[in-house]
Amino acid sequence: MKRYIYIIIAILTVCGSACRKISIPPPNIIQDKDVFTSSPGIQAYMARLYSELPIEDFRYSPARGLNFFWIISPTPATTGEALSRDQTSSMQENFGGWNWDIWHGSYTVIHDCDYFIETLPKYASNFNKDQINQWLGEAYFVRGMTYFALVKRFGGVPIVNKTLDYTVGGSTEPLKIPRSSEKAVWDQVASDFDFAIANLPDVNMDYKDGSRANKYVAAAFKSRAMLYAGTIAKYNSITLFDGSQNQLCGIPASAAAGYFQQAVDAAKTLEGVYSLYLKGWSSTDKAAQYQNFVNLFSDATSSETVFVREYNYPNSVHGYDAYNVPRQLIGPNGYSSEVNPTLNFVEMFDGIPKNANGTIQNLDAGGHYQLFNNTMDMFANAEPRLRASVILPGDLFKGESIEIRRAIYTGPSAGGISPLLPAGSKSQYPTGNLVQGADAGQQAFTLPNGSKMNPAGASGIFTGDQTCAISGFSVRKWLDPNLPTSQVLENNETQTWIEMRYAEVLLNRAEAEYELGTSNSANINDAFTIINQIRSRAGAIPLASSSAMTIDTIRKERRKELAFENKTYWDLRRWRIFDKEQNGTIYRVLMPFYSSTAGKYFFDARTDERNDVYTYDPKWYYEQIPGGAISKSPNLIQNPGY
Amino acid sequence: MKKRLYYLAFGLAAIVASSCSKLDNYPAPSNTITGETIDAGTGNTVQTEIGSRGTRVKLLETSYSSNPTPYYFQSMQDGTFNNTKIFAATYNASVEGPFVPLVQTDSTGKVTSDQSQNITIKGTNTTTHLTFKVEPFLRIDWVGQPVFNADSTVTVKFKISRGTTNPAYQSLITDVNLYVSNTKYDGDNNYDIRYSPFNSFSTAHQTDSLLTNTLTLTTKPGALPQQDVYFRIGARINAGLDEYNYSTPVSVKYP
Repeated sequence: MKRYIYIIIAILTVCGSACRKISIPPPNIIQDKDVFTSSPGIQAYMARLYSELPIEDFRYSPARGLNFFWIISPTPATTGEALSRDQTSSMQENFGGWNWDIWHGSYTVIHDCDYFIETLPKYASNFNKDQINQWLGEAYFVRGMTYFALVKRFGGVPIVNKTLDYTVGGSTEPLKIPRSSEKAVWDQVASDFDFAIANLPDVNMDYKDGSRANKYVAAAFKSRAMLYAGTIAKYNSITLFDGSQNQLCGIPASAAAGYFQQAVDAAKTLEGVYSLYLKGWSSTDKAAQYQNFVNLFSDATSSETVFVREYNYPNSVHGYDAYNVPRQLIGPNGYSSEVNPTLNFVEMFDGIPKNANGTIQNLDAGGHYQLFNNTMDMFANAEPRLRASVILPGDLFKGESIEIRRAIYTGPSAGGISPLLPAGSKSQYPTGNLVQGADAGQQAFTLPNGSKMNPAGASGIFTGDQTCAISGFSVRKWLDPNLPTSQVLENNETQTWIEMRYAEVLLNRAEAEYELGTSNSANINDAFTIINQIRSRAGAIPLASSSAMTIDTIRKERRKELAFENKTYWDLRRWRIFDKEQNGTIYRVLMPFYSSTAGKYFFDARTDERNDVYTYDPKWYYEQIPGGAISKSPNLIQNPGY
Repeated sequence: MKKRLYYLAFGLAAIVASSCSKLDNYPAPSNTITGETIDAGTGNTVQTEIGSRGTRVKLLETSYSSNPTPYYFQSMQDGTFNNTKIFAATYNASVEGPFVPLVQTDSTGKVTSDQSQNITIKGTNTTTHLTFKVEPFLRIDWVGQPVFNADSTVTVKFKISRGTTNPAYQSLITDVNLYVSNTKYDGDNNYDIRYSPFNSFSTAHQTDSLLTNTLTLTTKPGALPQQDVYFRIGARINAGLDEYNYSTPVSVKYP
C-alpha cells in the first residue's frame, strides 16, 4: 500500500514539475530585452534605421525608387542635366513598382523610430545618459528625415508619433489617420530635427565618420528642409483642402519668411565646424582646382563631408561606374554611358566661348564652323569644376583620352564648312558627306593622308546603338579613376555616397538669405560672399558685385555645384520651374566631327538627335498617393488631378 | 473499364460544375450619364485635351458613404462626355478642367461657391443628361481659315480672350502654342515637334496685348507633309493644374 503512495507521489512530482514552463516567450524571436540591454543590440537597431533612411543615393532613380541596384533610368536624365538611352521623357516617381514602396516603407521606418523612442527609456538603466540622449536624438533624426521624404513628395501626410496597436477583432477606425496639413508636416520635420540637434553630441560616439548623425548633421538637414518649405510657401500654386479646412497641399505664403530664417539659422550652426574642401586647391592653378574638386568626392578625411552613406562588399553595394563609365572603358558585364550631360547643362559653366545669348560659340564670324586641332581645344579654358563633373570630348580619364566623335565629314573644307543643318533644325544629318559608325565594331576609314580613323569615336557617337556619349559628353562626377576595368561591375562597387556636404549647407544659406533679403541688406551681402566662395573653389570667375546677383544666379550656382548628386530633381520641383523648363523641351547636344579634308575638328550644336520631348505635368509637384494606401484608409484624400 | 471512365468523367464534371457556382450575380451597371461642359458665356462646349490632362467628370457616390472615394471619367476632346456603365445610386457630380472650378474655396479652405449637381439614378437602362456651365480661363477663336504659304508652311490667325471675370483667374498668359498633327486629336500630348511652334512668356515678358490683338502663328520652317493636317491652338494661364484651353481643331486641304 505504502508503495502505491510512493509511486503516486513520484508520478505527481514528475508530472507536476514537467508541466510548469509552458508559457515562455518563443526563443527564436528576438525580444526587447535582447536588443535594448546592450550597445551591440542598439547598433543592430540603428543599422536597420539608417539602412532605410530615405536618401536618394547611388541606388535611387525616379523610375525604380530607393535602394534598388539597377540604375539605368538615372535621375539626371529626368532633370535636363543629362540624356540617357533608357530615359526619353519627363517622369514622375514610380512608387513600389520595383522595390521600395515609399508610402508604406516610410511608415514602417516611422513606426520603428516611434517604437525605439518609446522603448529605450524603459531600459535606460543599462546605459549612461549620454548614450541615451544620442540614440534618442538619432531616432528623432531618422524620423524627421522620413517625414521630410514624405512631405516633399505628397504634401501633407498623416503624422503618427506613437506606435499604433491593433487588437484582433477590434475596430480599425482609430488606425485610419487622416492627412495633416502640409505646414503641420514641415513643422513636424523641424521639431524632430530640433530634438535631434538638442540631444545629439558634436561627434557621434559610435561612428565618427559622418555615417551616423551628430547635431550638425541634423542642423544641415534642417537647413535643407526649411529651405524646401520656404520655397513651397513662396512659389507653389496648387492647393488642396480637406473638409475641416486643413491645407493638405500648399503653405500660406506668409509662412515663407519664417522657414527661410530657420534655414539660415540652422545652416549657420555648421560654420567653423565644417569647411569647403581645399586640400589640393591653388588659386592660380586650374589643374589643381580640377584635381581638388575630383578628390572632394573620394577623400575620406574631407572637411566638407557632413553626412554619408557607406557601402561594403558584398553586403551593400552599387554599380555607379558600371552604368556610367565612358563606352571605351566599358566593364565586363556591359552597360556604360547612362548619364550623358546635355549641352544646356555644360553651357551654364564659365570658360567656354559663348555667343551673346549664352549658347556655345561653335561658328566663326562668317557663319562657318570653327576648326580645332583637338576637340579639347574648344574647352582649353573651361571652368575646372566642369571638367571634374563632365568628361569633355578628348579629356583624359583613367589615363586615356576619351574619344567622342559623331562622324567624319568628307565634304569640301576650302573657304570654310557651312553648318550641316539650318539653325534649329530637328532633322537627321544629311549623310552625303558623312562617314558614320553604327556601333563599336565599326570599320576604319582611310583619310586622305593614308592613315586610318574610325568614323565614330571609341566612346561614340554611334548611329546604331546608344551605348555611347549620345550628348557628346559623358559624366565624370563620382567615377572612381582607380577602379580597374575588370572591377567595373554591377553590384560590386563601394564608393561612399556623400548625401550632405558643406557646400550645400552654404548654398542653402545663400538661397534662404537671398529670399529674405532686400537690396544691399546684410542678407544679400552674406549670400554674395557665399556664392563667391563656392565659385572661387570651383575655379569660376567670381561675381563682381552683389547687385548683379539675382535668384537665378544663386539657383544656377547650386545646379552646377550639386549636379549629378540627385539634388537638382528636388530643386526644380521646389522652385516650381520643372514645368517651365520642360515644356515641350528637346535638350541640346554638342556633336564633334572630324573634317578629313581640313584635318581638323569642328562642333555642331543641335537638339537631341532622338527628338525626345520633355514635358513636365504640374500636377506631379504633388505625387499620387498610392491607391492601396487609400483603400486601406479611405480618410486619405488624393492629391489634385489623379 | 468504360463504365469506370464514365463515372470518373461524371465525377469530374460534377466537381467542375459545382466549383463555378459562385457567380457574381450583381447585375452589371446599365445606366448612362451623358452631357457636356458648356462655356457659360458663349454656349459652346469647352474644348479640351484627350487623356489625363483634359476635362474629367467627378462622381461621388453619396448614397454609399458620406466620404466616398471619387470616381472619375474623362471627357471627350469636344467637351462632351458619355459613360454607359453607371450604377443606380445618388451621386454628387461635377467636372474638373481648364475653367473656374465648380467648387471654389477661399484661402482658408472654406467653400465659397458650389455648383456641383446632386443626381439620383434609379432603375436600369436609364440615361441622365448633365450640363455644366463653366467659365473657361481662356477662349480661343479662329480668325479666318489657315492659309498655305508658298513654301508649304501654314499661317493661322486667332484671337484669345478671357472666359471669366473672376479676379482670382486673371493671371497673364504663359503659353500660346500651335499644334500640328495628322489627326484631329491634336493637343499638348499629341503633336508633330517638327512643325509645331511653341511660345512661352516668362513673367518679365508677358503682355496683355496677347488678349487684345489678333495673333498670327506660322508652322516651323519646312514644308508640311502632303497628308491630312490638323491645326489647333492651345493657350494657358497659371491656374489650377495649368491645363490648356484649346481652339477647335481645323484642317485645310493641301494645295
